[in-house]
Amino acid sequence: MKEKLARLKTTRYYGFLLLAAMVVFFYAVFKILTPDNFGSPEHLLSYLQSSIIYAVGGCGLYFIVVMGLFDFSIGANVVFSSIVGVICSEHFGYAGFILGSLLCATLIGVLIGFLYNTLRVPSMIVTVGLMLIFESIAVFAAGGSKQTLAVDYRFFSAPPGSLILAALAFILMWFILKYTRVGTYCNAIGSNEFTAKNMGIDVKKYKLLGFILLHFFVGVMAILTVSYGTTMTALTGMSTMSRNFKPLMGTFFGVAFRKYGTPITAIVVGEFIISIIFNGFIALGAPTTIQNVVTGAALLMIVALTARGRKGSVVK
Amino acid sequence: MEKNILLRAEHIDKRFGITHAVNDVSLTVNAGEIRGLIGENGSGKSTFSQMLCGIYTIGGGTFTLNGKELHVRNQVEANDAGVSIIVQETGTLSGLTVAENIFLGHEKPFIRHGIKNTPAMNREAQRLLDEYGFGRIRAGMMIDHYNFEDRKLVEIVKATYMKPLILIVDETTTALSQDGRMELYKIMDRTRADGRTVIFISHDLQEVLAHTDTVSVLRDGEYIDTVASADMTEDDLKRLMVGREIGSAYYRTDWGTPVSDEVVLRAENVTVPGLIRDVSFELHRGEILGFGGLSESGMHEIGKAVFGASWDRTGRVVLADGTEINDIPTAIAHSIAYTSKDRDNESVIVNETIRNNTVLPSIEDLAHGRLLIKRELDRFAKENAEKMQTKMQSTGQFVSDLSGGNKQKVVLARWIGKNSDILVLDSPTRGIDVKVKQAIYALMQELKEQGRSIIMISEELPELMGMADRILIVRDGSISGEYLRDPNLDEETLIAKMV
Repeated sequence: MKEKLARLKTTRYYGFLLLAAMVVFFYAVFKILTPDNFGSPEHLLSYLQSSIIYAVGGCGLYFIVVMGLFDFSIGANVVFSSIVGVICSEHFGYAGFILGSLLCATLIGVLIGFLYNTLRVPSMIVTVGLMLIFESIAVFAAGGSKQTLAVDYRFFSAPPGSLILAALAFILMWFILKYTRVGTYCNAIGSNEFTAKNMGIDVKKYKLLGFILLHFFVGVMAILTVSYGTTMTALTGMSTMSRNFKPLMGTFFGVAFRKYGTPITAIVVGEFIISIIFNGFIALGAPTTIQNVVTGAALLMIVALTARGRKGSVVK
Repeated sequence: MEKNILLRAEHIDKRFGITHAVNDVSLTVNAGEIRGLIGENGSGKSTFSQMLCGIYTIGGGTFTLNGKELHVRNQVEANDAGVSIIVQETGTLSGLTVAENIFLGHEKPFIRHGIKNTPAMNREAQRLLDEYGFGRIRAGMMIDHYNFEDRKLVEIVKATYMKPLILIVDETTTALSQDGRMELYKIMDRTRADGRTVIFISHDLQEVLAHTDTVSVLRDGEYIDTVASADMTEDDLKRLMVGREIGSAYYRTDWGTPVSDEVVLRAENVTVPGLIRDVSFELHRGEILGFGGLSESGMHEIGKAVFGASWDRTGRVVLADGTEINDIPTAIAHSIAYTSKDRDNESVIVNETIRNNTVLPSIEDLAHGRLLIKRELDRFAKENAEKMQTKMQSTGQFVSDLSGGNKQKVVLARWIGKNSDILVLDSPTRGIDVKVKQAIYALMQELKEQGRSIIMISEELPELMGMADRILIVRDGSISGEYLRDPNLDEETLIAKMV
């Protein structure tokens, strides 16, 4: 029995089980505390809708976080790419909206990856610098005014459109991780870059590819974000920074559940759990500060329980 | 022995900074033989083999395999050329499945139009694992779920499934249980039977003699000889390994000087799971206590355990006043100093200045109230750097710019400045030149005369015999022998307790 349990703990089913248990736990807590304002099927769909937007970004971030890199510019890219998408939609319709957002976001990924490889400075520094630049360019592109997505192009603003697009992104992520070398090599680089190089892996190329993939997913996130909110305002002064953290929380779940072979499910469900917690507090009428405290604490607790390092090991 | 030469190494050379790791080594290896490669720690065997398989770039000379010059830049290119290696350390990567590890860098057969056929890769990996008799390891599982030995078995499959012309087994057996070893020996025998070659590196001389046809010996990076295993005894091999002249002017010349009876530190049943067990000893005032053994014997962990740096240590480390040392701050507060074997990662902060490295443990003593005055820190660092004759432009120079020897001087200056009474020096002269060695030995002598006590952990037997008042030999995590300072003590006696 003990052996069976130990074996189960190494399978993806255990990962699914843990995630499901967490969903049930947090749902039950808020449902008990505020049965009328929380957790109806309509509510759950709404939580899911907001969480999948961040989950798409979280999937993109996974490629670079497993390599030990970081990107502070994704919020700025979401704003910039969605503004470009909205502007393009005015001239080329849906094609302009989708291609404009995706192309803009992906090119930003190319630029970040290129600069990271060329400048040889930490990814955090490169992306903070570029965040400031992208924020300013976005203001310039928007002409200082709020950009509104025309009613004709809001298929992705609600289900089924938003769910279809997000599902396509998740399938793409699953395909890349399972059926291409990229996922394997990103993990290998993150595990031991020196050994990865010795295995003939072109580390620079795969880091560049990691940034490109990340920002392609950010492009999808931009489409979903501006569709969901219908407008986008460009702001400067690092105001896009806060947009980085919700996708990152999902990525933490993904990295934590990587050992069970369920990173994508963990990203999606992780974002859903965070959405449940946020909305649970809103239902309770708690102030935003309290919501942030408890969400942060819940995230720390979950990641500590699932992904903490061995005692005595160096954790950075 | 009418055999074809498979590998020809000509004038192979490699330097790491000032350390001449492999010095003009030329040898040949025949097809269809198992060649042992032995030598003391630091003799250059691993560096030699890692150049052969592309982990290190070749410093000088050429390898010719099957008549063709080798120019490999990494392990995958070496594999393609017919050379593979099972390394000493963990060679598998976390975050990947077993199958991904086995085929890392060799995914091509499973990729069509850029799409990886993961099920086919898993199936092939499982087939190989089953064929090798490691069927309980599941190809689709994450490697993280397996222990060190199982991961070594995966590495064996990874290194041998493509049937390399030369298989290098670099001190792998210590990581394996008896069953695992037997499997590895079978693979080595099969490789020889196929007319291919194994280069087998091990410190276990009995094992080397039992499983090799010939043995090549390296010493201090130089090629010494190649001998037929059947004609050799363990003692013969030891003589070849150790055969240099012992004794140099820079070691201590006093013999029979009594050591104080006063015990300053006592280790009682110190155990660190998997590394050392039930280690007990006493350190006396003014004593240089040497610890010797093979690199993986656990002796390096003893230094950490004394300094309170082993997180899962059991047993006690007690000072004369009854203070128990269980953590680093307590150790430092009670005048214990520690220099690690891994100088760059555990002793110095390479991207910091000499000043900041030197003042680190003395910050509290140098602070005026809560303020640090730069002039004071500079004075302290300069004074101690000068004591150590550190070659530097100024104390503001970054440690990363210094040679290995001068980095070690910075580490020692730090503890000299702290006026530590007990110094735990792990491999204090590792990778440094004779002149700096001489300075460090002189300093140790001076500290001893001042009544300070030193624990010196070293893989170099001559320095242990030359400097220590007493030598404890560590084997498999336990103390296997104790020797007092004696001019008649020889390396062979110590080696007999080490292997």
